Amino acid sequence: MASNEILSFDVATLSEHLRGKKISPVEVTKAYLDRIARIDEKIHSYITVTGDEAIAAATKAESEIASGNWRGTFHGVSVGLKDLVYTKGVRTTAGSKILSDFRPDYDATSWARLKAQGAVMLGKLNLHEFAYGITSSNPHWGVCRNPYALDRIPGGSSGGSAAAIVAETAPITIGTDTGGSIRIPASLSGCVGFKPTWSRVSRYGVVPLAYTMDHVGPITRTVRDAALMLNVIAGHDPNDSTSSREPVPDYTATLNSGIKGVRVGVIRELMNGLSDDVSKAFQSAMKQLTELGASVEEVSIPSLPMAGVINTIVTFSEALEYHEEWMRSRPGDYGEDVRRLLESGMAVTAVAYVRAQRARARILADALAAMTNHYVLAAPGSAVTAPRIGETRIVGTGQQRIDPVNDILRFTSPFDCTGQPALAIPTGIGGDGLPLSMQIIGKPFDEPAVLRVASAYEAARAPLPPPSI
Amino acid sequence: MAPMNGDTVKRMARDVFDYEISDADADAMANSTGAILTLSRHLGNLGLTGIEPPFGYPNLNAEAARLNGKKE
Repeated sequence: MASNEILSFDVATLSEHLRGKKISPVEVTKAYLDRIARIDEKIHSYITVTGDEAIAAATKAESEIASGNWRGTFHGVSVGLKDLVYTKGVRTTAGSKILSDFRPDYDATSWARLKAQGAVMLGKLNLHEFAYGITSSNPHWGVCRNPYALDRIPGGSSGGSAAAIVAETAPITIGTDTGGSIRIPASLSGCVGFKPTWSRVSRYGVVPLAYTMDHVGPITRTVRDAALMLNVIAGHDPNDSTSSREPVPDYTATLNSGIKGVRVGVIRELMNGLSDDVSKAFQSAMKQLTELGASVEEVSIPSLPMAGVINTIVTFSEALEYHEEWMRSRPGDYGEDVRRLLESGMAVTAVAYVRAQRARARILADALAAMTNHYVLAAPGSAVTAPRIGETRIVGTGQQRIDPVNDILRFTSPFDCTGQPALAIPTGIGGDGLPLSMQIIGKPFDEPAVLRVASAYEAARAPLPPPSI
Repeated sequence: MAPMNGDTVKRMARDVFDYEISDADADAMANSTGAILTLSRHLGNLGLTGIEPPFGYPNLNAEAARLNGKKE
């Protein structure tokens, strides 16, 4: 089979062909390694490519599949991992100089579960240093670029994970999300990014940013692929005492259920300050949902505007606690932006931290009250399309100047505060040639509802034109 | 609350954290954290009376059990 055909398959299709022995894991792995060799110097989606290990794992998978020993959906499927997910014996840098030579002696649970099914790791994906930013312009490992426009950020912190999906240097990836780091790169780069409920996926073996806000989840080409990955990585982990014991359903079960009669609540507080393209694409998406049989109306979460402050206070404190010793011993080894964010943690008092943690329940209560009669919530993924690399302020609608941090994080960080499942999905391409997106948000542990609505929309929406790299 | 400035930040970092912060970093920090700390006082306006922080005993217990499980 031709390489470009292999590269075009989503995981659902890849898995079917692998199981049916129409293609071999070695063919798939070689197609991806060739693609990475040809184009990744333009986008820097990878920090480490594990070519030899990938071929060895693919060869083993090939032999197992040939002898009828099928291990599951991810058997022989190539996977990329954000480089703060521990991989035994393989460099795990967290995008930093400080961990540049760190090789863990165990696998993160999320990776271990995929590996147990015979997944093949292509390598470790680029990110914003220590996951503490939204640009993925990494000063130590290379500036990650948006495949739709190489002078634009892919978003972050899981920028490499999203760029790899869109540039076809990986068919499926894992990212993490503390203020938006799965959904922001998915939104700005043009793919699907799913932050599950907090505690749904084990955080064991993942370099933390903020313990009580970190989430692990899939970044994928399709909603179905996100469901397939969640089926494997979700579930209680004895190594992560915070991981939930909620039963894990089959997340693919609702994908074809349709959305007739479903009520969608559009969050009023996130409908201001949008660029014209974002606004039009979002309204068009809501129209699509009504054409599919859903009803769409506005809801309000009055405390939502305070979520950014809560997320900042908690993240500032918890991140500094993790980094304090390195900050004392080697502050110069951090990039300037990350060092300044860590230093800011010194000014947050314990009183402010506890108050912020208490306030999270208020935001969640208001969000759930808004959902009393609504199945899911909806909001844009961002107010703007991907900013230029190095840009700190851009002109928005009219003469208003937009701060990309506040006008991107504002849409995502509330659902890290509340821990609700939230999925970003492309809604189209704007006049500037850059991806547009929306989010679907569910009740805690109601990933099936989010996947159902996102899947229905995705099936009805026209496919996005691919980037030309 | 007195406005934060670079000198305040440098003194706090030195006295509380035994950490030397550059003038540029101190000025940047004064701007951003002053705003955050002011806003944090407004969190009380959300009506937090009676709201517990999300630090459940089950987590504490489970973490201790996990640590003991590692020793065996």
